[in-house]
Amino acid sequence: MTSNIQSAPDPIDDLLAAHFRPVPTAADLTRRVLQRLHGSWDPESFAAGVAVEATDRGVTQVLTGGGAASPPTRAAARLAERARHELLEYFTGRRAFFTVPVDITGLRPFQRKVLTLAHTIPYGETRSYSWIARGIGHPGAVRAVGTALGHNPLPFIVPCHRVLRSDGGLGGYALGLPAKTGLLGLERGTPVLEGCATTHIVCRVGCSAGHRMRDDSRVIFASVADARSVGYRSCKVCRPTDRNEP
Amino acid sequence: MITADRSLMKRIAGGDEQAFADLAGRYSPRLLALAWRLLGNRADAEDALQRALLRLFRSAASYRPEWAVSTWLYRITTNVCVDEMRRRASRADLQEEAVDEEADGQATLFARATGSGDPGRDLDVQRALRSVPREARILLALRYVDGLTYRELARVRGISVNTVKSQLARGKTILRAALQGDTHDLEHPERP
Repeated sequence: MTSNIQSAPDPIDDLLAAHFRPVPTAADLTRRVLQRLHGSWDPESFAAGVAVEATDRGVTQVLTGGGAASPPTRAAARLAERARHELLEYFTGRRAFFTVPVDITGLRPFQRKVLTLAHTIPYGETRSYSWIARGIGHPGAVRAVGTALGHNPLPFIVPCHRVLRSDGGLGGYALGLPAKTGLLGLERGTPVLEGCATTHIVCRVGCSAGHRMRDDSRVIFASVADARSVGYRSCKVCRPTDRNEP
Repeated sequence: MITADRSLMKRIAGGDEQAFADLAGRYSPRLLALAWRLLGNRADAEDALQRALLRLFRSAASYRPEWAVSTWLYRITTNVCVDEMRRRASRADLQEEAVDEEADGQATLFARATGSGDPGRDLDVQRALRSVPREARILLALRYVDGLTYRELARVRGISVNTVKSQLARGKTILRAALQGDTHDLEHPERP
């Protein structure tokens, strides 16, 4: 930690040392951290009550109060179980994407369009109700978009909690605003791209290959290109890509 | 220092809040400088630091003593900051405009917070650092905020010592060129 920045004097070293000099922190820093620790919304309690219904084609319902109908076929049961597993990982900050397919064929066309577009909002990001309205070709139907999202049968998997008001206000949430804030906070605190320092492979958080990584091997990257620039390669299982890549 | 850190970590793993405050107090000024310089403003940097410390408290039980506590802390804090940089890059991408970091104001605030320095020159460095690729910029920050060794830098970013060296050298070359470009502009203010 204390090695000297060595060799011939270079004015750039002085500039950088000045640029990165320590900053005094607020006196109540640790108190505020401990407050966050004790006051945090508990996503795991949510996870405990989650039940899933599915068809052969995909998940049709995520219920937070339990009481799901039993799956019609074995394939549906497998999908429901996989969704429950992914949801549990999602709530505990170990998954930043869902692989389980959804089945929204039973919904009306307008709601289907709204949910299909909402489904594309990436983890940890947010969009506005009017973004959805414009995206589905009904720019005036902002309120109807809100209603369609409010009756989302697949909360979390179809991330209606990532839709906010254009002015930054939270808008509504069928499961209550504390849950909406909590989910946004959870996603803000969970990275999406992690590399393994031992194998030099970069994965999306939640990848089955990444689960075998030791905790102290996890290194976070801001993009796949960044990871490649320091000698990492992309995982062949979860195939992480940057937004501007195909 | 290193043994003292390790015994603090052991107490933190047992839920000792005073030990946590002691360790945080020891490293926070350097960690905050790192976060501020990587994220560009104090508010986001404080939030990132709080999240990093929260993570430290929660994961103290899984801390492995073959890590120097400082390296462990820099790993956690850098991970949090890098993820925030990703979020910001994708937001900028989405809005097709760079997130304005209000560089001028922040340089003055930083100079005031650290009680020294030359805000004007510092602003040049801050602007020049923007042309350095992200991974090299992160390594430069870690190198200069606490003089981490090549081995420690390699451990914090999970890369080889050779990659650390080449990234640092490349980062400095780009930085130097960008700074000289700045001086050049000052000498020829009439140039477009």
